[in-house]
Amino acid sequence: MEILSAKNISFTYPLEEKPALKEVDFHIHKGEFVVLCGASGSGKTTLLHLLKQEIAPHGKLEGSIFYKGTQLEKQNKPPDDIGIVFQDPENQIVMDNVMEELLFGMENKGYQTEDMRKKVAEMTHYFGLTHLLDKKTSELSGGEKQKVNLVSVLLLEPDLLLLDEPTAQLDPIAAKEFIQTLTQLNREFGITILMVEHRLEELFAAADRVLVLEEGVKKIDAPPREAVAMLHIHPILNYFLPSASRLFLHFQPEVAPRSIPTNVKEGRDWLLANNITADSDMEAEQEATPIFTLKEIDFQYNKDTAPVLHNLSLSVNKGELLAILGANGTGKSTLLKVMAGILRPQHGKVLYDGKKQKNLVNMAIRYLPQNPALYFLEDTLMAEYSQIVKKHPVENGEAIIATLLDTFGLKGIEERHPADLSGGELQKAALLGTLLEDPKILLIDEPTKGLDPYSKKVFGTLLGDLRKQGLTIVMVTHDVEFAANYATRCSMLFQGDISVTEGTRAFFKGNTYYTTVMNRMTRKSAAPLAVTLEEAKENWRVQRKS
Amino acid sequence: MSTRGVWSFHPAVMLAYYVVVIIGFMLSQHPVFLAVGVGFLLVFHFLIDKGKQLKTWSTMILTLAVFILVLTPVFNRRGNHILFYLFGNQVMLEAIIQGIMLALTLVGILLVFISLNQIISQDRFLYLFARISPQWALLSMLAVRFVPLLKKRLKEIEEIQKVRGFSVTKGSIKERGKNGMLFLQALLTGSLEQSIQSADSMSARGYGQQKRTHYQAFTMKNKDWYALTFILVTGSCMVFGWWLEDSVLSLLPVLETSQLEQREWVFIANWTLLLAFPLWLEGKEVAKWKFYLQKI
Repeated sequence: MEILSAKNISFTYPLEEKPALKEVDFHIHKGEFVVLCGASGSGKTTLLHLLKQEIAPHGKLEGSIFYKGTQLEKQNKPPDDIGIVFQDPENQIVMDNVMEELLFGMENKGYQTEDMRKKVAEMTHYFGLTHLLDKKTSELSGGEKQKVNLVSVLLLEPDLLLLDEPTAQLDPIAAKEFIQTLTQLNREFGITILMVEHRLEELFAAADRVLVLEEGVKKIDAPPREAVAMLHIHPILNYFLPSASRLFLHFQPEVAPRSIPTNVKEGRDWLLANNITADSDMEAEQEATPIFTLKEIDFQYNKDTAPVLHNLSLSVNKGELLAILGANGTGKSTLLKVMAGILRPQHGKVLYDGKKQKNLVNMAIRYLPQNPALYFLEDTLMAEYSQIVKKHPVENGEAIIATLLDTFGLKGIEERHPADLSGGELQKAALLGTLLEDPKILLIDEPTKGLDPYSKKVFGTLLGDLRKQGLTIVMVTHDVEFAANYATRCSMLFQGDISVTEGTRAFFKGNTYYTTVMNRMTRKSAAPLAVTLEEAKENWRVQRKS
Repeated sequence: MSTRGVWSFHPAVMLAYYVVVIIGFMLSQHPVFLAVGVGFLLVFHFLIDKGKQLKTWSTMILTLAVFILVLTPVFNRRGNHILFYLFGNQVMLEAIIQGIMLALTLVGILLVFISLNQIISQDRFLYLFARISPQWALLSMLAVRFVPLLKKRLKEIEEIQKVRGFSVTKGSIKERGKNGMLFLQALLTGSLEQSIQSADSMSARGYGQQKRTHYQAFTMKNKDWYALTFILVTGSCMVFGWWLEDSVLSLLPVLETSQLEQREWVFIANWTLLLAFPLWLEGKEVAKWKFYLQKI
């Protein structure tokens, strides 16, 4: 049975000439799990918001949307049973206590106390939120916040659940858990789901259908495997696909869609069916000259709270890209702030080039925050850059800005307000700003947060190029794939101390669970062990077993 | 969320109490009345959370009080009793007394608001005001929620910009001022965006579409009516005292003695009774638990 359908909808924002959506046409059946994907600026969010009338954007809408057989615009009241969860876990929460937050929607809809009690009791038990009920919402982790947001929408018993990149701001583990919860909701309770998402790696198993938008036009509407087959030649969207599929399609591009593996298990089966040999991979040992050293650092925020960093020592070598990995709340961001001179450790030494730091903030060290929007003070990118060039007298400032804009692919948007950029553009724009200040060491906090796979690739490649030009980079991340692809060394932060520091390959080869998809797929299989997809693509030779 | 002691009352009763106490602080311009008021509120703060919430505000309150205490005698030269000369200017007894009263009034009202924030939680606030005007209740709630978010964000901006060489603690005053303005501008643009998302999330969950219900069924119980009567009676009595000018210390034309006389004792007793009401409720709880624990 059809629950939602759109007939030729086009949408144009006020004062814009180009429509954000052009004659989009689709049907969603009851109980389906549909993934909507596309590069940034393709109109995904616009489409999703149009379906939820209370928050539909202003502008010119043509065509019609039908929900449960009636046209949305013709109903005098928006339907009660469409729920929506947004991207940012923080901004959706309005009450300061978890229980009140969960009740908020039901109170708005006029439920009686008895019903509310029953429903909250049942839901919190099912979703394991009971221990959070009395907590303040500001004290929750990102994953917990998003779960509270989901449950507070589910309490209104939606038949159709819309989700706008709900896992973009979460760490990979919390994201996986969230997607599993959604899968369960769809499979066991028959809730229809329409979800905008980049993390196809996890989603392909759950989704029934994939819709792809490109510049406001529907390009693909097919089951996952067929969508994979169609997308793998796409210059941008092929990075969205699961690693197993990409690996397979690299070696066997011409096959029927149904034989394409989409997850680790199917990938392993394919590996078993083939003879794979690898060229010996050479890991060039780089000579290591420490440029930046931390010795026995202790740091705590408060006299009464537990220390965040404890007896931590770390040395950063010249010209490397060091990734510091670790779970949520292990003090990764704190460590980076200590390195940047924002926080002063209670004990220990910070040495730059062998000398102790007198001034906490060193001009050779630059810091890129987790939220790059906070980097900007001026109204446009260009104004910001000109001001930097003026502040740190740079010769030929304008010319350097122009070349950097070109290499960063930001040409044409330099007169925009930073808030109007997409996540990937913003991250690059902030990076450009720091480079103008001519740093020797660049510290980056969680560079991949909220980026789609393609933007990640672009950003990672940029970092790699900068490293080759002699810049030393330290980044903090929980994105295992990103670290594996671009870092030269990796450190693990655990209980306030660095537990291991190794070359990237060695680091991931040694891990069993906290590692890349490729490593999990090739571990203990007949194929040679690989950590990243690129590595396999370059070194492997695949022969079909006869 | 506690449901005992003062929290067991209907939000309307709580609100009535606070309104009456604030009126009391504004009308009873008499050092003894005000001092008694502040004293009781301090004890009340200690009873509800051992003064934790108060401590976070204490520096601000004390600085304000000291400012007023010092500045009032400097600017106010009206009176008949010259105490001494400061840099060739007379300092009047009347002005000092007025300074004390102003400071006590301000401290008292701030204390009331700090406890109000703790006692009237968000759901109670919505219960009271959403029915009158959902839009305004929503707006004020978002505004209240905004304050800690803004503080957090401003701190982040300061940290990041410190590394970039923009600071509000170093450099010339002009530069600091300019940087401060830039920070605020960045803060506001970012926060507006966030508040739009909050508003979206509220309307997506049906806020303002129909009459709200409340999980916590607040009904006027008998004890609520008794409490309300008590508050209204002591409250009117207090207003009557002001009308008779018994709870007001006259400074001009003739300075009245601060000592309490005759009828004034009645009104201070009434004021004490009003202030002691929540103390009695909370104190009862504390005593109950002490006693209960001893019995085990």
